[in-house]
Amino acid sequence: MNIHFRTAVGYIKRSPFQAFAATFVLTLTFFVATLVATLVYSSSKLITYFETRPQVIAFLKDDTGQTDIADLQHKLEKDTRVKEVKYVSKEEALSIYKNATSDNPLLGELVSPSIFPASLEFSVKDLSFAQAVIDQVKGEKIVDSVGFTAAIGGESSLKDVVTRLRTITMYVRIGGIAFVGILGAASFVVLLIIISMRMAVRREEVEILNLIGATPAFIRSPIIVEALFYSLFGAFLGWLISFIAILYSAPSAVTYFGEIPVLPRDTLGLFELFGIFLAVELVAGLVLAMTGSLFAISRVKKSR
Amino acid sequence: MINFKNVTKKFGSVSALTDVSFEIKKGEFVFITGPSGAGKSTILKLILGELAPDGGTIIVDGLDIKNLKTKDVPYFRQKIGTVFQDFKVLPERTVGENVEVALAVIGLPENEWKERINHVLKLVGLTKQINLFPSQLSGGELQRVSLARALVVNPKLLLADEPTGNLDWDTSEGVVKLFEKINEEGKTVIMATHNMDIIKKFKKRIINIVNGKIVTKD
Repeated sequence: MNIHFRTAVGYIKRSPFQAFAATFVLTLTFFVATLVATLVYSSSKLITYFETRPQVIAFLKDDTGQTDIADLQHKLEKDTRVKEVKYVSKEEALSIYKNATSDNPLLGELVSPSIFPASLEFSVKDLSFAQAVIDQVKGEKIVDSVGFTAAIGGESSLKDVVTRLRTITMYVRIGGIAFVGILGAASFVVLLIIISMRMAVRREEVEILNLIGATPAFIRSPIIVEALFYSLFGAFLGWLISFIAILYSAPSAVTYFGEIPVLPRDTLGLFELFGIFLAVELVAGLVLAMTGSLFAISRVKKSR
Repeated sequence: MINFKNVTKKFGSVSALTDVSFEIKKGEFVFITGPSGAGKSTILKLILGELAPDGGTIIVDGLDIKNLKTKDVPYFRQKIGTVFQDFKVLPERTVGENVEVALAVIGLPENEWKERINHVLKLVGLTKQINLFPSQLSGGELQRVSLARALVVNPKLLLADEPTGNLDWDTSEGVVKLFEKINEEGKTVIMATHNMDIIKKFKKRIINIVNGKIVTKD
């Protein structure tokens, strides 16, 4: 083992409570950071789901021929803003109506397919495209009128849902980042205190090393290695605990949210997502340890 | 090897050295003597680059100390072995580890450490104490650890600042005999001491300094 690693391990062994305090705070920080990252990911997926869900229904005029319908369907399918174009015939429309009113069969018996117009239903890839696409489709000769499926429950209410989700997501992001920021700052301060104490205890050793020709990098190395150990171990442990917790609760979350993909449904996707979280957290731990230790060393040097 | 030319050093208004000039050739063994506070340690600190002179020129192994950049000081010191009155051994490391640190500092590959450490500990007679901590050693043994650490890097120059100051006569004599042995191997040794018995017994070149001025030099 490298002499700097041996020295750092020696420091950790000699001060187990300091090591425990540093690791605990860093573990807590990265545990919360992983949970917040998961929340941000899930809320983004939730918003995307609701944003892309609204369907536009272009009700077609009664005398429209199949060729014209096919032309418009093809035109819409080629539009990059549009997805999942589907033709709904009068019979299918009646069937949908009957299903919707199945709790009151009498309502279904009173209507015939002729009163329902055929339609082309499609989704927009982003809610912001909706109005432009609707205006464009309204201009088509074979289109009688255009509706937004949200109108079934109230057109404005879907926008309200998305707006509300956006607000909640924003709060989750801001609150999460603030919380992780506070914990990150606490971790930074704990690292600073521990490293400053270490430097103070090592004062005589540093003086001796200076006299025998040790470079500043040589003197700093064990301190940085120690800080790296706390940060990287804390990051891994925090990530591991939250990953296990999420793995444990994932089936319930997936069942609760149904078709909304708040978490990747396949195991590989889930591991990939958490692999990315781990990589980012290890880099954050690295930066925290490097800045914390170098800052502490420079502060101790200045105070001499 | 070392050339002091009209060197002056002041601490505030107090003159530690005034117009000091001398030359030490490669392979010499020199005692710097004088009472406490005469300026012996200041001379050694100036040679080591721990202090900068206020006036004059100091050349060590062809390098002008005044022109030495801060970043080059560690590499300059790596060529010099230093032994201190208070030993300056690392208390939380064993004898072997104390010596090992010096090798790590100069960046010697780890596979070469064992041979060097064993050789130098044998030279100073501490082979059996390799795994002991400083708190388990006597004053004489601590000084020999300090000497082993200085020698293991194979320095061109060995500086010793009152190395016998904390030792009894027999131990002091043993330590100085080690310095003599090292000097016989071709290394330059400069030893600051006020121990007249040592100076009388080991008949070496003497630079006598009083109140920061050289009063006699061989």
